[in-house]
Amino acid sequence: MRTIAIRTALIAGVLFLTGACASSDDWGMWRSHSTHFASGEHGFFSMRNNKDGSNPKVYRSDIEASRQENWWGLYAITVSPSQIFQN
Amino acid sequence: MNSAWFLPRGNLRGIAVLVLAFLLASPGPSMATREDALIPFENAMIPLQKYSSVRAKALASTYRPELSNLFEHIYYCLPWLAIRKQTLGFPKRVGAQGDDRYLSVMIDVDVNDPDGAFAATPRAHRVSAMLSRYGVHIMRQMVTMTTALSDPNVAGVGVALTWSMPAAPGARPIGETVALFVDTSSLIDFLGGRLPPAEFVNRAKFTFWEGENSAPAVKVDIWEDTFNTTYKLKNYELPKGYKCN
Repeated sequence: MRTIAIRTALIAGVLFLTGACASSDDWGMWRSHSTHFASGEHGFFSMRNNKDGSNPKVYRSDIEASRQENWWGLYAITVSPSQIFQN
Repeated sequence: MNSAWFLPRGNLRGIAVLVLAFLLASPGPSMATREDALIPFENAMIPLQKYSSVRAKALASTYRPELSNLFEHIYYCLPWLAIRKQTLGFPKRVGAQGDDRYLSVMIDVDVNDPDGAFAATPRAHRVSAMLSRYGVHIMRQMVTMTTALSDPNVAGVGVALTWSMPAAPGARPIGETVALFVDTSSLIDFLGGRLPPAEFVNRAKFTFWEGENSAPAVKVDIWEDTFNTTYKLKNYELPKGYKCN
């Protein structure tokens, strides 16, 4: 009985520690992208390269895709180009 | 029920072979080609219809092929940089009188600063380091890869650089930005070694930003930095036939 209680407390503790640092925005992002691969590009990149990370090939389009899909982090607050340039 | 009920059974194997052959023959996502840059180039360019003057539209049309070459250089040879959407072209400085047009671009820099050492340096140093490493290189490419700066309708160049600072826990990161505008002759003299960096800085017009807000001016120094011409990104592959100088 005591072992079950300790195990339950441990599992609850791990769940709390792994999830407690996420904000509501983070959870919202995660809920809306819950598939294994973030995108088709992510899937193709994984299929093209060895699972153990040996001999990887990275193209500029991969870097571009990862930039555009950085929904797992929140975007930085930056100045708008319209505050610098006037067309 | 068999989902391929409308096909004779004998055809299924043939179709499977055809599909497999098509997948194997298709370049698809397994090869880098120069066509990969076409959509990013269109995204980077300021759309013609967004210009407010005939002069700007004419410049953007005339030098589009050269801007494409400049874009490709940044896109393929400097993968740690990203051109901000709709910022490559010939805008004016915000607040400037008249219609002086600058060959311009805004660039987001990926900062590799895992231990926070760069972020811990004074802001004046961060700004100077960014300009020295990326600003000067981009301006040099503008001079060497285009003929736009010899056009009398182009007043000079404008370069804006943005990089992210580490965020406090639970907060969104803040991007720092420096923007520089300088006239063509000062730039060419500086790149040719005939104008000292301090004088070049005196002649350039700077604006500084922290996040979305303007930030106090800092003293800018510019020094030599060869990172962009010497650094090689591990496992990074260029499209077949494309070379970076």
